Amino acid sequence: MNFVDEYDVIVVGAGHAGCEAAYTTATMGLETCLITIHLETIAQMSCNPAIGGLAKGHLVREIDALGGIMGILADETGIQFRLLNRSRGGAVQAPRAQSDKALYRLTMKNWLEKVPKLTLFQGIVTEILIKDKRARGIKTLEGNRLLAKAVILTPGTFLNGLIHIGLHSYSAGRANEPASHELSTNLKNLGLKTFRLKTGTPMRLHKQSIDWSQFTAQPGDKKPIPFSFRTQKNLKNKILCHIGYTNQKTHEVIKKNLDKSPLYSGKITGVGVRYCPSIEDKVVKFPHHQRHQFFLEPEGLETAEIYVNGISSSLPLEAQKEILKSIPGLDQAKILRPAYGIEYDAVAPTQLNCSLETKKIKNLYLAGQINGTSGYEEAAAQGLMAGINASLKIKKKKHFILGRNEAYIGVLIDDLISKGVEEPYRLFTSRAEYRLLLRIDNADKRLTQYGFKFGLIKEKDYEAYQKKQERIEKAMLFLQKERIITENKEKLRLKDLLKKPEVKFKNVLEYKKFSGLLTDEEIRHVESEVKYEGYLKKQEKEISRMKKIEGEKIPENTNFRKIPGLTREVIEKLEEIRPKTIREAKKIPGITPAATMNLHIHLGIQKRRSEKGEMFHVKH
Amino acid sequence: MVEDTIIAISTPLGYGGLGIVRLSGKKSLPIAKKIFKPKKNKAQIPPRQPILGNLYHFEQKEFFEEAYLTYIPSPHTYTREDVVEISCHGSPVILEEVVRLGIKAGARHARAGEFTLRAFLSGRIDILQAEAINDIIQASSYKQAKISFSQLEGSLSQKIAFLRNRIILLLSQIEASIEFPEEGLRISAKQISKTMEKAIHALSKLVESYNLGKTLSEGLTLAIAGRKNVGKSTLFNSLLQKERAIVTPYPGTTRDYLYDKLNINSSIFTLIDMAGLGSSLHLAEKEGIKRAKILASQADGVLLLLDSSQRESSEDLKLIKKFKNKKTILLFNKIDLPQKMSKKIVKSRAESLPMLEISALKGTNLEKLKEMICEFFVPDQKHGEEIILHLRQKLLLENILDCLVGGKRLLKEGHPEEIYAEEIRKTIPLIGQLTGEISTDDIIQDIFSRFCVGK
Repeated sequence: MNFVDEYDVIVVGAGHAGCEAAYTTATMGLETCLITIHLETIAQMSCNPAIGGLAKGHLVREIDALGGIMGILADETGIQFRLLNRSRGGAVQAPRAQSDKALYRLTMKNWLEKVPKLTLFQGIVTEILIKDKRARGIKTLEGNRLLAKAVILTPGTFLNGLIHIGLHSYSAGRANEPASHELSTNLKNLGLKTFRLKTGTPMRLHKQSIDWSQFTAQPGDKKPIPFSFRTQKNLKNKILCHIGYTNQKTHEVIKKNLDKSPLYSGKITGVGVRYCPSIEDKVVKFPHHQRHQFFLEPEGLETAEIYVNGISSSLPLEAQKEILKSIPGLDQAKILRPAYGIEYDAVAPTQLNCSLETKKIKNLYLAGQINGTSGYEEAAAQGLMAGINASLKIKKKKHFILGRNEAYIGVLIDDLISKGVEEPYRLFTSRAEYRLLLRIDNADKRLTQYGFKFGLIKEKDYEAYQKKQERIEKAMLFLQKERIITENKEKLRLKDLLKKPEVKFKNVLEYKKFSGLLTDEEIRHVESEVKYEGYLKKQEKEISRMKKIEGEKIPENTNFRKIPGLTREVIEKLEEIRPKTIREAKKIPGITPAATMNLHIHLGIQKRRSEKGEMFHVKH
Repeated sequence: MVEDTIIAISTPLGYGGLGIVRLSGKKSLPIAKKIFKPKKNKAQIPPRQPILGNLYHFEQKEFFEEAYLTYIPSPHTYTREDVVEISCHGSPVILEEVVRLGIKAGARHARAGEFTLRAFLSGRIDILQAEAINDIIQASSYKQAKISFSQLEGSLSQKIAFLRNRIILLLSQIEASIEFPEEGLRISAKQISKTMEKAIHALSKLVESYNLGKTLSEGLTLAIAGRKNVGKSTLFNSLLQKERAIVTPYPGTTRDYLYDKLNINSSIFTLIDMAGLGSSLHLAEKEGIKRAKILASQADGVLLLLDSSQRESSEDLKLIKKFKNKKTILLFNKIDLPQKMSKKIVKSRAESLPMLEISALKGTNLEKLKEMICEFFVPDQKHGEEIILHLRQKLLLENILDCLVGGKRLLKEGHPEEIYAEEIRKTIPLIGQLTGEISTDDIIQDIFSRFCVGK
């Protein structure tokens, strides 16, 4: 008799997506089991020892505003903090932190162990149990069954994972960790379409074998900015990163060894991450570049391991050693872990609803790298949303969707489910149409209310948030009301003065005193709100206009062939699916914004023509 | 774009008498109220009634001209939008001032043909109806657009493709610099400004090409062509029944081109009388001839005049050869005089051109000529849709140009990248309507193929 257990939610895989999902469902009051192949590797960072960056840092802020844990954890275990694009406007600034990897996963495990209603379990899942096209639980390798009302699948790169070092390959989900084969087959049998992706990771070196004098140090910020809105303590920088460059000799080595590269010799079939090019990719694509930059990043305070950010590779170990020999400072470096490439199965995310539930099987949610994304932050964001939505479904409540104008999370999920993925998806700020609206300084303003509603943000944190909003309101009123006369005899409201590109809040205070107290972050928020005001207004107008257009109904008998400017492909899709509104039409993959506009204009003309319209003479 | 309220002078300039400025759009009435105050203080302006009042200069805070305002609420208007018409003294100075004030009060200057475009887009008229209304002529850029299109068809799509690539390059430069601040990619504002300049330059030229023959902004243009002294000016005058051109017996007197409007059955044509197209020794004449040749090549149609009281000259035959592939009516003038021209030879060279024998001086067959002009030159409905589509194209290009110019200004004023990037990103859906879509993936791909980034 095998062991059976019953839960509300089972989360498969304790990576960044899985941890957020499990934490979320348990905190929302559902009995959750987080099952993972190896309890030691909960929240293991497979690659970069860092959280954040452009667009990714934005995601972490949003996760935090919604009540997720990545942000607090990054602050807790961060060993160097930097705000990127400091010299630019608020919309493109993003926090980034180097993390102590070991501390990160241990802390996560500790926290998860303490969450009431959350049970950690070590096991290998081989099958999703289905009944009447609905997920009912999972089965493990030993034959044990765990039942649940919903299953969230977050297996990362473990599905049929295959590691390549040079022409040698072996099955693994991460270096020396067993891959998951049966589960992958199971998903295919359930009718889910999968495809192959590839990514890679650089070598790790021993810090004492590096001649640090050859490299330029890169310190953290003087006043580190936390990820989490809830972090109270002051953050400290504890390490330095260093910048180095490859050279012509390095490139020669790489070119010489290309035939031993699994990608360039055709051994790998997966589509690679364009955004994380291996050093082979860089040398091949940019042969005229004299050098390529890399960063030496400590993986933790206690460990000797140094991550070589920028030299990801799947060349054989010998070649990797030669590469190091060619770089002054690394010529004596000892490799602790070789760089490698990894191929894995992903599931085409167009098979998901906007709640991340699969269309084919009810109550089965997919989140993270399995959906074709790359990056811890992209995974965590999906885990959080899948967790919220699985909980809402079980509670028989309406699902939670974020629009593209509300959060990068919205942009991410919408891109995945409507456009699908051809290569590992990474978020960029330019993917957001409303980039000026989606800033790190206003993530709480946009999302904390939802976090509180779902019970993920505690009462006291919500109160702190409200007080912050009051302080900001006061400052905005101050700027709106007070007027001054400048040296050039201009009569201005303080707000208009702050709008000028070179003016900062502290400059404004030189003219008039302000009684309120704002933190640096809050000041940055006020500056952004004011400086972007004109644009924000235009974008708000644009958004409401788009909403109106999207609501337009498409009459049943619409002849799509008559609409000018539509390609044959678009017409075929429209005829096949027969969307009822413009919103539905927009969702069809391949229907472009321009096609939507043409459709909208045509519908408008048709509508007016069908009303009584005669020729009208206007007398001049 | 279609959300704006547009304003323009509705009547041809320079005619004296009455002039009308017209507004169309949601804000027509509020804007008009800023520049017009009724004599009898009415709280509400009643629809469809001309109200007497004064034009109000809100900058100088004074009244300056008596005028009538008629407010016609949507949907029963030409454009289906709210329309306001302000009728006042036809002085161009006054009319232009009214338009300028209207723009200051929140309207936008209508582009050529935009009223009719709105009427068409709103389903109010189709091209058949549009042609029956005087107003089609206001959209003379219809014709220009049609000519532009047929002349530039091949190079047009090339130019638009080039523009699309410029914009992708521009965005990829800016976005790469934003997205990868750590990778030594700092692209200077100067470089970006340069790329913008190139795009703006290419785009301006493209927009220009839709505006051929800007000097003649109304009506289908008909050039009266022919060598010196065949009677062009006489024909010009006769058709117009005015003594506009200077007619002297000496060849080469019309040193410049003269133009005027001819109204035939509610179709308006602009007639151009040009210097003789023969060769000339005088410098001043050479200029006139050069200009004339350009106009003739841009004109919608040509009335090619031959002096049939003389033998056909090699110049005549050259001209026939030149114009026979254009929309041309061949005219044998001076049939009141003894005929010396071999019509057979001419006809054989002219092949399928419509022909007529006339006497410009005596007025013989001029009525028939007018009929022929109407029949032959008025655009057929088939091309109408094309014209509208290309007008839309032109408007899209102008919008794109506005965005780029706006972006450049913001860059110059020292605004950060993400702000002027927004202006440029606005062009993306617009270009998508002209040519293929530009998706963020296109830009991201461009970044990664152009710059070695990504760790």
